[in-house]
Amino acid sequence: MTTAAALSAVLVVGLITYSSRAGLILFLAERPLPSALVRALRYVGPAVLSALTVNLLAGGEGPSGVEVVEIAAVSAGIIAAVLTRNLIASLTAGMVTLWLLLLLL
Amino acid sequence: MTNSGMPRPDTYPDRTMSDSADASSPTETQNNVIMRRAVRDSIPLFIPAVPFALVLGVAITESAMPTAIAWSTNVFIFAGAAQLATVSLAATATWLTLVATAAAINLRHVMYSAALAPRFEDQPRWFRWVGPFVLIDQTFALVSARTELSADTWRRYYLTAGVFFFVLWNIAVIAGMLVGSSIPSEWRLGVAPAVMFAGLVVLGLTNWPGVVAAVTGAAVCFMALSVPNNGGILIGAVAGVTAGYIADVVLDGRNLSTRGFPQ
Repeated sequence: MTTAAALSAVLVVGLITYSSRAGLILFLAERPLPSALVRALRYVGPAVLSALTVNLLAGGEGPSGVEVVEIAAVSAGIIAAVLTRNLIASLTAGMVTLWLLLLLL
Repeated sequence: MTNSGMPRPDTYPDRTMSDSADASSPTETQNNVIMRRAVRDSIPLFIPAVPFALVLGVAITESAMPTAIAWSTNVFIFAGAAQLATVSLAATATWLTLVATAAAINLRHVMYSAALAPRFEDQPRWFRWVGPFVLIDQTFALVSARTELSADTWRRYYLTAGVFFFVLWNIAVIAGMLVGSSIPSEWRLGVAPAVMFAGLVVLGLTNWPGVVAAVTGAAVCFMALSVPNNGGILIGAVAGVTAGYIADVVLDGRNLSTRGFPQ
């Protein structure tokens, strides 16, 4: 990615982020969002983030880019997150699993 | 800063102020009291964000973007998950996929904006423009619970918490950048963002339609991995939102448990 592309990407994401934070406060005060939109917005987070997780594991190399140790690390992180509801515990479990497997394999 | 899961204002305990800080003309002492209160409330919410900031710092040093530009996401974007997506995707995604993914991650702020809009009605113009800059998950959780404060006091509380998070976030990310440049690549810290996002998904799940959205998003993205330009992210995201929405309508938002998003 060129410097110009990177900088423009950061600025555009920043502008969209600010707009989503400020838009209704500045222009639409008191007007409630349609309930269907609120319903759909609720699932943007889980859908985008889980797709992003899979994509980052593949690293732009298609399905073959997903390594077994990476799947193990993410799975350990997910299990820890379910059990503890704690992000630090989740991250620790995932990375420790990764390091142990890299040492053993 | 961290993502997903829509904390509803009514799920936060409505602690009342023990100090008389919301008098109509606050004195300097009362201002100090409310600012101290804002910092005290912010600390427990900041601690869980520290590992996130460290992972982001490492990702910034490893980003395909020039380091200074990757770092500037702290100022221009100031939203951890979107920042992490931006700096991590630079290696593989096209400009459009990167921007669309990061923007989609930050769409949840529209809900925060809608929820807080009434509170901004009696605020001065400058604050209506400046306030949203620091409207992150944590600030929203704090200020939406503070319904008992007067307009002036609420503004002071809001800005104090916002500045607190901004400053500490930047310090923690810089610490992560220092860590990242000193740890050898055999440690595979590049896997940390994926682990982080997976954990965030789990913590953000509060109902079954959310689970449906997450599983569908991951599965469809996996099947679409060979789509050029990382288009699989957006295809997975659209499929996930659609599936979650349909499940919500069918199940009418049945809750997983009483535990909500912890941050």
